Amino acid sequence: MPEILLQYQDEIWRSIGETMVMVGVSIAAAILVGLPVGTLLYLCRKGQIYENPVVFSTLNLVVNIIRSFPFLLLVVFLIPFTRLVIGTAIGTAAATVPLSIIAIAHYSRLVEQSLLDVPRGVVEAAISMGASGKDIIFKFLYVEARSGLVLGLTTSIISFISYSTIMGVVGGGGIGDFAIRYGYQQFKTDLMMYMILVMIILVQLIQFTGTTIARKIDKR
Amino acid sequence: MISLHNVSKNFAGFQAVRSVNLTIPQSEIHGIIGASGAGKSTLLRLMNLLELPDTGEVVVNGQPLTSLKERKLRQARMSIGMIFQQFHLVLNKTVYENVDVSLKLGGMPKAQRQKRVMECLQFVGLENLKDKYPAQLSGGQKQRVAIARALANKPQVLLCDEPTSSLDPDTTIGILGILEDINKNFGVTIVLVSHEMDVIQSICHRVTVMADGGIYDTVSIKPKGISKVSSDPRNFFEQLKKGGEADDA
Repeated sequence: MPEILLQYQDEIWRSIGETMVMVGVSIAAAILVGLPVGTLLYLCRKGQIYENPVVFSTLNLVVNIIRSFPFLLLVVFLIPFTRLVIGTAIGTAAATVPLSIIAIAHYSRLVEQSLLDVPRGVVEAAISMGASGKDIIFKFLYVEARSGLVLGLTTSIISFISYSTIMGVVGGGGIGDFAIRYGYQQFKTDLMMYMILVMIILVQLIQFTGTTIARKIDKR
Repeated sequence: MISLHNVSKNFAGFQAVRSVNLTIPQSEIHGIIGASGAGKSTLLRLMNLLELPDTGEVVVNGQPLTSLKERKLRQARMSIGMIFQQFHLVLNKTVYENVDVSLKLGGMPKAQRQKRVMECLQFVGLENLKDKYPAQLSGGQKQRVAIARALANKPQVLLCDEPTSSLDPDTTIGILGILEDINKNFGVTIVLVSHEMDVIQSICHRVTVMADGGIYDTVSIKPKGISKVSSDPRNFFEQLKKGGEADDA
């Protein structure tokens, strides 16, 4: 173990923990809110079972607007909202607010795309069998789109890691913030490189896991 | 029993079906034939309200589908099976699960479902392939799964949208045989849409000919029997040769 890592091990572990919290909350937001929003985007589209131009255009616009922001500006823009929700705009907990919002917008778009890949005929067959809207979603659409949903979530998680690295601006901490403050700003280039290595390993692991699961559950 | 009264359907300016009246009695095999774009598929899809008609009334099994509320319509659809040219199976479900899902929709308890799924798979001769996924099956086998799925809820009506049009002649014969058995054994009314005259003539009791979205005529025919669908390309070759000799002479 290089000495510099031993010297900073407390800070390193803490920053890894902060990253895990930020990314973990983002993943939860993506699944709990992003998945339903993406599904609604799909269902309200023209020609789909709950076709509704008003709901579709509104959601579509909101998702687009959130994704148009350079993420750093979104964080700053959301400070009043974050303060309202968490009580403070500073720290790891506060950092999860903008991260969750971008996570929802990011994953909902990928969910919509995965669902659009399900052949129309499958939905028609479901309707002809007397399936309700809920049945169509859970027994047909999600079953047929499941590997796309997993791959999309994998892509999203990797983006969340990337987004989380700049949360240092609001005192969110995390690996990225540690690498910048201790590695870059204090000219400890080797420390910065070790942190980049940690991120590379993390991303590789997530991508490998996601791809493997997606392949295993894809019987098409 | 199916009756359509003055049913019309327009797709963005294209009149797919124009004021059609048609009654199909219980236990009949009814063929619908016509050129591409004649409106035969649309007419079939109006029979379970997969397409909503612009005008007219659709009555199936004594229920006026066009005036049913969403819940009742879903229940009515469970007694109207449907199969498609492209099968439309759920590719991430096994053969067993594809049939099982249609029973789950009706809320049947698991033990009963198990029995019924196996009955249906045995009927179409696929009980040995129950754990395979559709991607591992041939076209004919996929259509058999679709038939088993459509039969699971014991429908009174089976709508068939070009069920053999992407299958080879041998497989076509197999599928037509199953459809005929369903009609004979369970008294299911079958509506068979096809552009292949051979297929229509083999098992249908009555045939509706469509053109330009309207019914040109409905005639009773004597089914020729499935054996008349030529399966062996050599037969075709023989016919060609005979034709050739006739020309020589």
